[in-house]
Amino acid sequence: MLRNNNWAQVKNNARPVRLKTKYKKSAAYTRLLDLLSLFKYYLVGCLLLILGSCVEPYRPDVIQAPNNYLVVDGFINSNGRTNIRLSRTLNLDGANIPPGEANAQVLIEEEGGPQFRLVQGNNGNYTSQPLQLNPIRRYRLRIRTADNQEYASDFVENKITPPIDSISWKAESDGLQIYANTHDAAQKTHYYRWKFDETWEFTTPFYSVREYKNNQITDRMINVNRCWRGSNSTTILINSTAKLSQDVVSEFPIIKIPSNSVKIKYKYSILVKQYAQTKEAYEYAETLKKNTENIGTLFDPLPTQLTGNIKCLSDPAEPVIGFVSVASEEVKRIFIKRGQLPIFWGTLDEYSYCALDSVELKDVAATFASGLVLPVNDILNEMGSTIGYTASSAECVDCRVRGTIVRPDFWE
Amino acid sequence: MAQFYRVLFFLLSFWVSLSAAQGQVTEAKLISGDFQNLTFESFARVLENKTGYRFYFDPAQVDSLRINLLVQEKTLPQVLEQAFKNTDYRFALDAHQRVFITKGRELTPNLPKDFFLGSTPNTPIAENTAPTPNRTAARSRNINQSELKVYQIGQGTATSDKANLAGHIRESKSGEPVIGAAVYIESPLIGTTTDQFGYYSLTLPVGRHEIKIKSLGLKNTRRQVQLNANGKLDIELEEDITPLKEVVIEAEKDKNVAGMQMGLEKLDIKTMRQVPTAFGETDILRVVLTLPGVKSVGEGSTGLNVRGGATDQNLILFNDATIYNPSHLFGFFSAFNPDVLKTVELYKSAVPAKYGGRLSSVLEIATRDGNKKQLAGSGGIGLLTSRLTLEGPIVKDKTSFLLGGRSTYSDWILTKLPNSVLNQSKASFYDLNAHLTHEIDDQNTLYASGYISRDKFKLGGDTLFNYANRTGSVKWKHIFNNKLYGVLTGSYSHYDYAATSERNPVNASDLTYSIDQNQFQADFSYFHNAKHTFDFGLSTIHYNVAPGSLQPVGPESLIAPDVLDREKARESAVYISDKFDISPRLSVNVGLRYSLYQALGPRETYQYAPFISKTTSSITDTLLFRQGDVVAKYHGPEYRLSAKYSLSDYSSVKVSFNRMRQYIHMLSNTASMSPTDIWKLSDAHLRPQVGEQYAIGYYRNFRANTIETSVEAYIKNMHDFVDYKNSATLLLNSHLETDVINAEGKAHGVELMVKKLTGKINGWVSYTYSRSLVRVNEAATSDVINGGKYYPSNFDKPHDFTLIGNYRFSRRFSTSLNFNYSTGRPITLPLARYFADNAMRVFYSDRNAYRVPDYYRADFAMNIEGNHKVRKLAHSSWTLGIYNLTGRKNPYSIYFKTENGRINGYKLSVFGRPIPNLTYNFKF
Repeated sequence: MLRNNNWAQVKNNARPVRLKTKYKKSAAYTRLLDLLSLFKYYLVGCLLLILGSCVEPYRPDVIQAPNNYLVVDGFINSNGRTNIRLSRTLNLDGANIPPGEANAQVLIEEEGGPQFRLVQGNNGNYTSQPLQLNPIRRYRLRIRTADNQEYASDFVENKITPPIDSISWKAESDGLQIYANTHDAAQKTHYYRWKFDETWEFTTPFYSVREYKNNQITDRMINVNRCWRGSNSTTILINSTAKLSQDVVSEFPIIKIPSNSVKIKYKYSILVKQYAQTKEAYEYAETLKKNTENIGTLFDPLPTQLTGNIKCLSDPAEPVIGFVSVASEEVKRIFIKRGQLPIFWGTLDEYSYCALDSVELKDVAATFASGLVLPVNDILNEMGSTIGYTASSAECVDCRVRGTIVRPDFWE
Repeated sequence: MAQFYRVLFFLLSFWVSLSAAQGQVTEAKLISGDFQNLTFESFARVLENKTGYRFYFDPAQVDSLRINLLVQEKTLPQVLEQAFKNTDYRFALDAHQRVFITKGRELTPNLPKDFFLGSTPNTPIAENTAPTPNRTAARSRNINQSELKVYQIGQGTATSDKANLAGHIRESKSGEPVIGAAVYIESPLIGTTTDQFGYYSLTLPVGRHEIKIKSLGLKNTRRQVQLNANGKLDIELEEDITPLKEVVIEAEKDKNVAGMQMGLEKLDIKTMRQVPTAFGETDILRVVLTLPGVKSVGEGSTGLNVRGGATDQNLILFNDATIYNPSHLFGFFSAFNPDVLKTVELYKSAVPAKYGGRLSSVLEIATRDGNKKQLAGSGGIGLLTSRLTLEGPIVKDKTSFLLGGRSTYSDWILTKLPNSVLNQSKASFYDLNAHLTHEIDDQNTLYASGYISRDKFKLGGDTLFNYANRTGSVKWKHIFNNKLYGVLTGSYSHYDYAATSERNPVNASDLTYSIDQNQFQADFSYFHNAKHTFDFGLSTIHYNVAPGSLQPVGPESLIAPDVLDREKARESAVYISDKFDISPRLSVNVGLRYSLYQALGPRETYQYAPFISKTTSSITDTLLFRQGDVVAKYHGPEYRLSAKYSLSDYSSVKVSFNRMRQYIHMLSNTASMSPTDIWKLSDAHLRPQVGEQYAIGYYRNFRANTIETSVEAYIKNMHDFVDYKNSATLLLNSHLETDVINAEGKAHGVELMVKKLTGKINGWVSYTYSRSLVRVNEAATSDVINGGKYYPSNFDKPHDFTLIGNYRFSRRFSTSLNFNYSTGRPITLPLARYFADNAMRVFYSDRNAYRVPDYYRADFAMNIEGNHKVRKLAHSSWTLGIYNLTGRKNPYSIYFKTENGRINGYKLSVFGRPIPNLTYNFKF
């Protein structure tokens, strides 16, 4: 507390400096550097691959340190519900998602103002009531864990996110590229971050009209052939306009979907969420991206320790992972139908392993009781009577194995 | 057989000298040994070494005499009596330990006691009297005659008892100056070595002397002089085309022990050619990397880390002009054409006062002067590059030129590749050298040289990168008199890079950076007397840096032009040093350099709130400086001390202390050198780097100086060198001080080396133990890395072992084997994973807390030459090599990335399998 106040005082005393030279981080330039890295990668590829350059997996056995640091994931939504997930770091080996941190008390605190409590949900998620935070005040997050350790973030300025102008897309030779476009007429945002939720329609290869229920074959009442499923952004999408003469983001690439992806077999929708960032939040995200997403090149910058804006109050040396920022959320959704895309784009069959089998009547109970194999249709003899059923494994028949048959309410 | 005797002789003389060192006081030394088929001259030398007596004889008289003798603990007269048995040679000994050999009649060396009262003869009674052509020797009559002719130096009679002899040593075939040739007389032992111009200056007692000259790869020669007063003697040396099977290279063979310099590594092109490289072409930086104390972060990187210093702490001088980026193609080639090179000198510890401006080392690369006698050329054709050099006289013996060029055809290779991204790519480079030497008269020589290197590369029709070095230098050497000469040098260095991106019209931009350096210096050498040699001079450098500009390209581009203010500065220095030979055993070199640095306006600088980390939010004020204003000033003394104490003829101890100051810093966010690294001048916030090094070394030669061994240890402190805050932005940053921190560094190490540069088997073995540590702890501003403790620098590799071995089967066929082991370099490793933003992320360890796997590599090369007929239109050779013989996948880079929600670690090896190469070299 004391330290922060001192810092704020110094800052307030500072005389204003021309903004032109204050912010020097350029996305365009970062892109240049990325390309440089990429080029070097290819250089190695072309000149030296012939000569034996190679990439191999590397798993040193030193990475077994017993560490258990608090991880804070989420942001303070100044215009809606805030969701924060608390968890702990785990050792590197394995791919399981670390369990959430339960029984913590989480508060949003206005500088010199009220506190808003977040309610514990499941798996380390804590959610607030829908809030309208004051755009000219600063906020922070306070956490008290179950073992009575106290954590607090720095007070952060509340950024107002400009609306998304459009989500555009282009069918390129090898896939569908989706872009975000936005601008801030007030020229104040400069740092942007995006997240997205994708949803698409899909079908299983076999349309089932029969169902095994209550130890007998009946007509299937619900269509389990057509479903929806979705995914979230996993990469860090950030851009800065600080080097541009206008605060305009033109065609920032959000995601590229390969032309043979099942996502665009029928109809695809993406909800892009946009957040204004402070310079510090942007830099944190950029470093995180560099540390964990950079392409492996000859000339990689050294990975750097990441210091977020959250500290343990009783032990300032304890690492705490995460950067809390405060922003409003702007969203925009688009749909892309198959018919809008090049007709020659073929789709990779995600069910290519599926095959239809036949089940004789005498085997019906034995085959279908487990629910792992589902009936598809009748097999009739020449006389037109049922002598058995075609069948396939559950995931080849019932799309609910991978998605949901509940049509999303936004689906057009 | 001849070799056997030579070895026997070496062994004998070695053993003899050892025993001589033990008991010099003994009056009547006893002689033992087996002397078989020795010439009398060699025999006399052995006895001289053994007994301390001095032999005087006419070589022409004794040339037919062969000594075959086996003696056991005999006195000198007994031995001589036995040796001259049944011959008409006579000997006589006098009280001054002199032995006179005559044919036919005996001398009476001791006159009646009252014959001369108190006067000793100035010259021996008989010393090579009556020079006559030696018919039995195989050498040309010319040379032999000049060896035996007595040169009268100076007019009239001597006015003092000492006089100075100076001149140039040149190679007779090309007229090139011979650097580092030893010029000496044996009694009393007074000697020197020629400097970079082939110039020597000796102060000798007046009288009759035999001057001996020895140099690497050239025939040893001698001159008889009668020194009356100060005078000149230019000497030409013949190339050593030995008709015998073995080559004996004797030049400077005791330099390791007798030389003043410590921490100096000198390589000539012959040595460098033998070291195998990845692409078959001789690469000087690759060879320098095999020397003890020199490391790099990895393959494909020419950044040198000398004794724990950073890659920007090396002053790379190419014909006196500074080179900022010494590499082509990301460091896979060095930017120097091997055919034009003469010598490469690396100063690691006792840096002469003449040099300054970098903390760790000076790498001085000199090209040849060009053939002064006839037109000649050389070249090579390799798998990736080709080169051609032409040289010759413009005015015979007065003016010569040297032109060299080198280029690659990787562009062409790229277009042949089936991948569409790759065949739209470009990767090309070239370098050009031009050098002109003009001898105006005896006193004045003019040298001019120019150098250009350029690299271009582009990936799949997107961003085009290019970078270039341009340097030029003009040097005027004036000899004022025998004892004093001066060199005026003006040089210009330029380095720039540009990145042009035109793919997306909205972001189309052009990023450029450049640095210009104009330097003027005057260096003088004054050979005061046999004991003192002074070097003094002054220099001034003017820097002009364009630290970055980003410009839109095309009308659609939204890129806002951003041009950082130019940075200008002046660095001046004066220096003086004295090489003082206190006694034949002890000599010291005391030097002082004082440097002054001024950062000049116009410039805008920010002021920051005190006691907190510098960030854009802690700016309190902006100061504006006008043209010519001094923005910041730094100055300080730089001490250069070194001393040598000879323990015996074969061993010595040297110590040195150095302080260096560096005002220009390279900023690079990557571990190796890359073309977008920027050079930044010290300013109001970025203090100059200051480094101190203490070094001690023990040197010992074995087997008649054919095997050199050395142990050197050092401790080094570095203050205010540049490290970065985490995720620093270095490009187009007008307030770099907010992203960099001044760090403290310390390094220490021990270097062991055994070197044999002669014989069928030659090469060197070196082992280095060294540490290089960094600390960032500015508690006042909370800029702390790793809790403020020392941590290993990026290039801290404690153990390093190198073997360079060559075996010559015959004069035309030789092989080389190169072996290299070093500890893996430090790395920051991921320690834990966590889930955030829908993906698994990584939490990294403290900076450089772990190491990559050890580095290990073996290379092999074969050199096959055509016949060695002296008169032949063109000489050619083939070099066939295999780089990374064992195919070990040495890690170049280790990185972790998140893929499909999992964290995967990868190891990238650049040369992951044996790489064959083939080069054709020619010379005409």
